[in-house]
Amino acid sequence: MQNNSTIAGLRALLAEKFPAAPPRKSGDALPTGLADFDEKYGGLQRGVVTELHGSTGHGALFIAAMMEHAALAQHYLALVDAGPTFDPGSHSPHALARLLWVQCTTAAHALKCADLLLRDGNLPLILLDLQSLPLRALGRIPANTWHRFQHVAAETTCAFVVLTPRPIVEAARTRIHAESRWNLGSLTRRRKELLGGFALQASARGALNEQRIA
Amino acid sequence: MFAVLILPSFRLSAALRWRAELWDAPVALVEKAGAKDIVVACTPAASASGVRSGQPTPQALARCAQLLILPPTPAQERALDAALLEVAFSFSPEVEQTAPGICTVDLRRAGIRDYDAWAKTAADRAQQCAKNVQLGVAENPDLAFLAAKNARQILVVKSARDFLTSLAVQELDPPQQLLGILHDWGIHTLGQLTALPRGELADRLGPDSARLWERAAGRTGRLLRLARVPETFAESAEFEYEVESTEPLLFLLRRFLDSLTTRLAGLHRVTERMTLELALEGAQRYDRDFQVPSPTADPSVLFRILETHLETLRLEQHPVGLRLVLASALPSHDQFQLFENTLRDPNRFGETLARISALIGGTSVGVPELEDTHRPDRWRLCEPRFHESTKTTAPTLQVDGIPLRRFRPGFSANVQIVDHAPAFIVSEKALGAVIKAGGPFRLDGGWWDARDTWSTEEWDVELADGSLWRISRTEAAWQLEGSYEESFIPAAGSNIVPFRAV
Repeated sequence: MQNNSTIAGLRALLAEKFPAAPPRKSGDALPTGLADFDEKYGGLQRGVVTELHGSTGHGALFIAAMMEHAALAQHYLALVDAGPTFDPGSHSPHALARLLWVQCTTAAHALKCADLLLRDGNLPLILLDLQSLPLRALGRIPANTWHRFQHVAAETTCAFVVLTPRPIVEAARTRIHAESRWNLGSLTRRRKELLGGFALQASARGALNEQRIA
Repeated sequence: MFAVLILPSFRLSAALRWRAELWDAPVALVEKAGAKDIVVACTPAASASGVRSGQPTPQALARCAQLLILPPTPAQERALDAALLEVAFSFSPEVEQTAPGICTVDLRRAGIRDYDAWAKTAADRAQQCAKNVQLGVAENPDLAFLAAKNARQILVVKSARDFLTSLAVQELDPPQQLLGILHDWGIHTLGQLTALPRGELADRLGPDSARLWERAAGRTGRLLRLARVPETFAESAEFEYEVESTEPLLFLLRRFLDSLTTRLAGLHRVTERMTLELALEGAQRYDRDFQVPSPTADPSVLFRILETHLETLRLEQHPVGLRLVLASALPSHDQFQLFENTLRDPNRFGETLARISALIGGTSVGVPELEDTHRPDRWRLCEPRFHESTKTTAPTLQVDGIPLRRFRPGFSANVQIVDHAPAFIVSEKALGAVIKAGGPFRLDGGWWDARDTWSTEEWDVELADGSLWRISRTEAAWQLEGSYEESFIPAAGSNIVPFRAV
């Protein structure tokens, strides 16, 4: 038998007694369900800001992949949608059931919501989708915002991914670039096949990833 | 043995329940009696100034110019009565609500050996409900009542005769005429009364005197009219003036929660829903329900939920009253699956959602659920219940292609048709020749309802620049519904530090 509030209380007590002890091993990664990516990079790093930059199609497909894997792994994820352009009709009901969709109309609201979810620390994966915003709006986001996110993320075990049209997240510890190209025929292909051929390339900086890569 | 809990000056106690500092000030509770306002109870400070129950208000004010006049608070009286009853139920299931502020408890089946120790513990618990509770323990209900009435805080009567001997006859509230005769005889205490022969007293003064003698001897016994456990956990307060900030509300809510959760904990229960009711100026009301994600009796957790809401609440009128109701529930225990991940702290997550809702609107956050229709972009947002164990079926990829990014609202477009297919698009987002088009996908519905009939024709198109779009035609107008892939040319001169390739 398990009582949520008891477990939460126990965790809080342990954190208070042993503040220096990290809740998870540093460098622990959250699998994405994308076989090639997981094999090569281990998954999405927890406790760091990861940036995925590429076209809007890449972002949408990455979100779909994360949702499908969350349903498979029985965990939850949050999508902070700055468009909002997410289309529930493009996803299966069982994948939607694991998604917390936060619809924002401005970059400021999206950043604030992502910050709240990251500080909350309950969800293992938070996606901040900024791909639908105009570049001018993205350019107005102060660089220190991302450093603050990195600082908050380091205190959690969440994987935090920012989806952007081009590299703008200066504080990102890991950056993923999507390179696949699509055509009209891709719209009728099975999504499993599309995800199988989804080419993602990661680059990293910082002690954490260099240690892991070494 | 029986125990009686008494709250002296019950109505005044209820009125000052959340303003304990006023007990040291001259305060009078005033009620309308006909055309006059009459003092019905007052604090010791007011009594010391000469204020008495039954005095008209002007007379009381003449005796004490600093006298604070308070009206009765029926809602707070009910809440205090319920709280006292719940304390009594924590001692025994056989409880009588004798009068407002008085509870009689049957302890005969409670298995208590040391009544002194028990009384001390019981009084401590009762003081959580009100500081001035008096507790009396004796072998029958009437004797226990007398003990409680004469107790400083606790009085356990071990010998009824010793206890009663020195008590005045007035303590038993005898008929006035009978009391006068007894006083004329020089009988002033119960000891003097019981020294008289019972039979001869009854022959001379009638059956009332026999009953009085029985009570004076501590020999009466009666059946308790058993009360039922109250199921309402509510506290309320009315303000003398309009409240202009959240601090007084939060202060009171914290007090309410401390009191209510103590009552819940006494019954081994938790709360799953809270209702906040604010009485506003001009007979307006503001009601709000709060679902507690993980039912709890922790006042701090419940307070954070209310605090988060009140921080962002904007009302057009000022509050003049406050009521908080907790819905009780049994503590829940879920059997989770071995590899299932649930929330670490559901209540904190609920609080975060409340903050997000306050920021972007409650209808903009939730779990999307598709509506049972083929009409495009039809879904609703449901409240997340991630803290509950969910049974999921094995996931399968039931949808194909690249997910659409939908524009809400869509962009109007001019579409040139050649050979019944789109050939060129001009819109705010997309511009160019169509090199490939998929469609038409014709959808319609609601034909059975004239007000909700809809019909649309959708196309997926690829433009020369490699971008993929969905367009639709409703009647004669074309619209850009969304994009699958937008062409993007990175801006030159990015100031991002280059990363080392992995």
